[in-house]
Amino acid sequence: MGRMLLKDGGRYMGKLAEDYLSFKKVLEQKGIIFSFSGYVSEGILFALGDALKQKMALEDTDMNTTRKVFSVFVEQVQNIIRYSAERVTGDIGKPVELSSGMIAVGQEAGKFFVVCANIVKLADMERLKERLDHIKSLDKEGIKAFYKEKLREDPEVESKGASIGLIEIARRASDPIDFDFMSVSDSTAFFCLKAFI
Amino acid sequence: MQTISISASERAPEVEFNFAEGVLKLKGESYPEDVASFYGPLLTALDKWLSGLEAEASVRLDIELVYFNSSSAKALMNLLLMLEKAGGAGKKVEVNWYFNSDDDTMQEFGEDFSEDLEHVQFNLCAVEGA
Repeated sequence: MGRMLLKDGGRYMGKLAEDYLSFKKVLEQKGIIFSFSGYVSEGILFALGDALKQKMALEDTDMNTTRKVFSVFVEQVQNIIRYSAERVTGDIGKPVELSSGMIAVGQEAGKFFVVCANIVKLADMERLKERLDHIKSLDKEGIKAFYKEKLREDPEVESKGASIGLIEIARRASDPIDFDFMSVSDSTAFFCLKAFI
Repeated sequence: MQTISISASERAPEVEFNFAEGVLKLKGESYPEDVASFYGPLLTALDKWLSGLEAEASVRLDIELVYFNSSSAKALMNLLLMLEKAGGAGKKVEVNWYFNSDDDTMQEFGEDFSEDLEHVQFNLCAVEGA
């Protein structure tokens, strides 16, 4: 508060509602039905995933679609948890590690989409971009073969399993994945990945 | 070896490894917070049991998973490769992969996992509407 509200024909003219309504409208214009921005934990992943499944069940969404959206959602959020360069760690009686990112699930032209975004180090951007370019260059059969190859790969070779999660996303997606990077400082970039289901 | 029995949790499957009977089961959803700490001890126990098993022994694994994430997929593959190795060494190994008949994803996963396994009898078992 701290600001005087003017009443005009029953409508309060505060800035607070206006600000957040316009924020809500921006999300709605993008078709977003569900979004989260900030520090994510495995607990948040579970709670959001559960709400997502319930929402889709209430709307009688086809089970196969629900399963695919859920699967893409889980892999996307786990990528934030594992790879976001914006993170805090500490000990509050138990060790805690939180990673920051954005998650949005929405509908556009009759299809569901899941978008995730987070800050990455510029040093990691090239490798991530190469992986995504490679996945994007593959057709459905190529993606399937690549998945099988990664499934059998020695876990020591891979860094916490990033590639297979990205391949899983591309596999469940109905269209080629869309991704983008934007430099935000000398050492970091904003990374965004969108998959339609 | 003593049976390993773990009830399903919100994110981890029910596990029943009955070593005395040679019957292993995984059932439910699998996207545990820490895949390594969930599957690590199971794989270690299985490896130990398989290595002490007599040559002609039979092993059956029933997989009744409805969802698993990509990290769990790697753990499952490691488990199947262990059984493949045991099959190669002469054990009679059977894997039953149960999936809901309308679930394309789990059916396709079953096909993926079964390919390249030469010493395992891998059965894809469609279950009508669950």
